[in-house]
Amino acid sequence: MVDIDLLKGLAPEDAERVLALGKRVMLTTGAELFHLGDAADSIYLVARGRLRLTLPMQVRSHEEDILVEERSSGQTVGWSALIPPYRFTLTASAPLETEVIALSREALTSYFAEHPDTAYTLSFNLSCVIGHRLQLFQAMWLREIQRMVELRCA
Amino acid sequence: MEMLLMGACLSVFGLAVCCLAFGAATRDSGNTTAAAPAVEKETIKAAVSPARFFVDPPVLPMAARTRVPIEALLLQIENHVRLEHAAAECFLESPNASLLHSRTISTLVN
Repeated sequence: MVDIDLLKGLAPEDAERVLALGKRVMLTTGAELFHLGDAADSIYLVARGRLRLTLPMQVRSHEEDILVEERSSGQTVGWSALIPPYRFTLTASAPLETEVIALSREALTSYFAEHPDTAYTLSFNLSCVIGHRLQLFQAMWLREIQRMVELRCA
Repeated sequence: MEMLLMGACLSVFGLAVCCLAFGAATRDSGNTTAAAPAVEKETIKAAVSPARFFVDPPVLPMAARTRVPIEALLLQIENHVRLEHAAAECFLESPNASLLHSRTISTLVN
């Protein structure tokens, strides 16, 4: 089993139980897992391959999907499924054949009600994933602002 | 006699006008030579300069206006995002101001 960031700190049998709630989804090269604005009902764990997370951008009057982040095996994608208003804020597609485990919000919340310890660990891991994204993009945003300031003062 | 004087006056006036015109033309070319380093910058602006005296601005082909092909531009953007991502990861490993504002080799901004 791949070392999965969302399942860190769980006993192997607990991790297996969580994984058993999921459904394996195979993505062919170029396939889209979810699209910006779609209803987010499942969170995904990348079991194999890679996912590109993109956002639309106007480039010379054409809308182009611009890479924002890449996720590879062991990483979690689509945490919008657990955060209101449950809508994806990015588009995810597979640049190569990729396998993901889809965990539905419904299955997870039912399981969490019966297993609060697992719920705590998963919530903590999820906050780490979200926190890391926040810190990363905060730094990237500030670097862009710095460049804008330098251009303006030049 | 009067006709002769009038003709002489007109000739002198015409000569003066010619001298002034020649002087102005010579002075302009001198200034252009002095400002030679600025010419490079001016040529870039020429494509968007307003119309002058019945001359329409040249209509440049799309390829000339957008020198970098869109595929190359998209690759530059993607490369820039990856580099910025890596720089931000380095900052998070060891948060300090110099790592936050480390220089990039991205061709998109250099």
